[in-house]
Amino acid sequence: MLGPGAVVDDPLERRLYARDASLVEGSAGLLVFPTSADEVAACMTVARDHGLPVVPRGSGTGLAGGATPLEDALVVVTTKMRRILDVRPQDRLAWVEPGVFNLDLATALAPTGFTYAPDPSSQQVSSIGGNVNTNAGGPHCLAYGVTSAHVLALDVVLPDGTRARIGSEGPAGAGYDLRGIVVGSEGTLGVVTAACVRLTPIAPAVRTMLLDFARVEDCAATVSSIVARGVVPAALEMMDRGIVRAVEAFAHAGYPTDAAAVLLVEVDGLEAAVAAQAREVETAAREHDVGTVRVAADDAERTLLWKGRKSAFGAIARIAPHYHLHDCVVPRTKLTDVLVGVYAIAKRHDLIVTNVFHAGDGNLHPLFSFDLSVPGTLDRVLAAADEVVRLCVDAGGALSGEHGIGLEKRDFMPLVFTAEDLDAQACVRAAFDPDGRMNPHKVLPSGARCGDFAAAALARAGALPEGTWI
Amino acid sequence: MDLIHPSDEAGVIDTMRAATSARTRVKVVGGRTHTINADGVDAELWTTSLDRVIAHDPAEMLCVVEAGMRLGDLRRLLRDGSQEWPVDEPDAATVGGVIAADVALPRQLRVGCLRDTVVEMVFVTGDGRRIRSGARTVKNVTGYDLHRLLTGSFGMLGVITQVALKVRPLPKVARTLETREGGMELATRLLDVVPLPAAVIAEHDRVLVRLEGWPEEVAEQAQLANEVTVMADADPHGLLDPPFADASVVARAAVAPSKLPDCVDGYERYRALLGVGYAWIPCEDDTALTRVRERVASLGGTAPVVRGAGGLGPVDPIAAAIGARIKAAFDPAGILVHG
Repeated sequence: MLGPGAVVDDPLERRLYARDASLVEGSAGLLVFPTSADEVAACMTVARDHGLPVVPRGSGTGLAGGATPLEDALVVVTTKMRRILDVRPQDRLAWVEPGVFNLDLATALAPTGFTYAPDPSSQQVSSIGGNVNTNAGGPHCLAYGVTSAHVLALDVVLPDGTRARIGSEGPAGAGYDLRGIVVGSEGTLGVVTAACVRLTPIAPAVRTMLLDFARVEDCAATVSSIVARGVVPAALEMMDRGIVRAVEAFAHAGYPTDAAAVLLVEVDGLEAAVAAQAREVETAAREHDVGTVRVAADDAERTLLWKGRKSAFGAIARIAPHYHLHDCVVPRTKLTDVLVGVYAIAKRHDLIVTNVFHAGDGNLHPLFSFDLSVPGTLDRVLAAADEVVRLCVDAGGALSGEHGIGLEKRDFMPLVFTAEDLDAQACVRAAFDPDGRMNPHKVLPSGARCGDFAAAALARAGALPEGTWI
Repeated sequence: MDLIHPSDEAGVIDTMRAATSARTRVKVVGGRTHTINADGVDAELWTTSLDRVIAHDPAEMLCVVEAGMRLGDLRRLLRDGSQEWPVDEPDAATVGGVIAADVALPRQLRVGCLRDTVVEMVFVTGDGRRIRSGARTVKNVTGYDLHRLLTGSFGMLGVITQVALKVRPLPKVARTLETREGGMELATRLLDVVPLPAAVIAEHDRVLVRLEGWPEEVAEQAQLANEVTVMADADPHGLLDPPFADASVVARAAVAPSKLPDCVDGYERYRALLGVGYAWIPCEDDTALTRVRERVASLGGTAPVVRGAGGLGPVDPIAAAIGARIKAAFDPAGILVHG
């Protein structure tokens, strides 16, 4: 059914596909590399007939273990489905195969005057199929919304091998919004074989500003002030001193290394609106004792400022050999409290923590750096991780803002949902997958825990694989 | 017909438990601005007493309210913080009602879709279980987004009792411009020329261009629109009212935006949302509705009836089968309305 080399049983290859970019290692059964929806359907039919569990996988950049196969599952890898099928600016949509890289799509669209708005930091290598399945975010989702707002329809192969189109090229489909359930379902409902994505007009003008603060509290308060002034920036990113220093040594973007925290703010729209918004941002910052307000003078400087932000994780290796990255989201007004809490947790457990995050969305990414060769470190890291999750939940937040639940956060789900809530979610999942073969053990906690994944994996782990993103 | 008017969520839960055990068929009713036909209903559950504000801090750009709140009350609440939930429906409509009807947002080009503004929801299933999904944060990927299934579910899966809504700053300036002539061709030219409109709306005898934002950008775009054709400031309420109040049946076609001219071709009256893909078409009888639906289907779209008899229209069989399993899980006795 599949072409030569499209089915792989080699133990070394299978080992490579036994994990994603998270710390969790599983075990892959057969690997298949279909090149078309027909081939995906054929694979799914075989899996159905043999009762095999199936794990869909894009580029494998996920950070929550969503694409980590368990129990020798069949891994359906979509990296050979990399065609942009149809670009229709007049309909403000494009059809793409799941393996297309996010940045490749944006680049291909640029000449049309439109873009695909979600821009996760992994965009150079993460796939649209993976983005759809994690409902990926990114710095520019503050103004434009996360992936779900940019997916109109999906072609899906269901667990029984049936092909279905859910959603519609038009603004609304018929029946329940199944599209809205499949987006963000972490590969548990079917395999996406094509996505119909919404195109967004490229803003005619953009202004990028770097603001530095002597106090973290002032930086966080500026975020709220900007919003209170009726400005919704395209992006509003915050970095604390630890991460600024690491980034500056790495990217040489001219970030102020003596500041307690910096804000990277981008406003866009028509030129006149951009000027007005930039004025409001600066006024808000002045109210909170901003140090320097640096406005990118040209595209080159803008690119340099963003390079600092987007290379944050390449820079982290300079702090300590290992790290553990979190993804939590809290109400925007709780940012300062939660940040102070995160610093206290780090101090209590004698760990280095740095923070770089989507401040406008209240989406934090505390990052603990450490050296596992120091005895007792692992226990401290895990204790701190647990406390960070509880801190965010107690502040009225959620478990994940953009990375997903996967295996990493699965057993925290009862912290935010009742048994009835979780049961209702399980029912919806079963409506797509009555046999429970799609990406089993992910997202929803099972009655019996399958071991403490994070602890087992951290014990095995060296550093995170090169190129990990937030 | 029983009329049940619970005053709080506990009352909704009691009602639904009792209805399931007695097999009483229940239709959920909000402000009666959008309803679907439902035969054989034994009782109406009115949500309008569930109208409390649960949490509102303008700095969060979120507002948590009970679902029976009237849009007029929500508008007043949000206006105090210079914010809006960008749903342009009558004051009498309820929050839960417009969510259950997944109404079109005329200003979608600037404000996005309704379904992306609901970030958390509490609903009561047909058998009286209280379910919550989502979170009170602007961004969240924790678990399955059940609230997305309830959005557009027309009371078929449960009773929406509480929602957290993503709100946005009121535009600094808003202008609605009107042409002297109508038609899709003129509207298409305006959409091409105005860079970032909130709406371009075509009718047979006029085109409306809605501009929102900072004063300078609104002025600049109004200038560009005026270079295409002479435009005058118009009453924005014409934009916000549901179209064709005089028609007994109105279908709302949803097609890919470039198919709109084909979709409305030959109709004396229509309203089309350029760049979005909605078209409202009044139908005088069943034959007219069938004709609209056949054409829309040939264009790859759908055309539910948003006023009058005619229902929501056909659903793809595979999606319908999945939907039926979800319905069975949330409403095991089948007492809520069916599509």
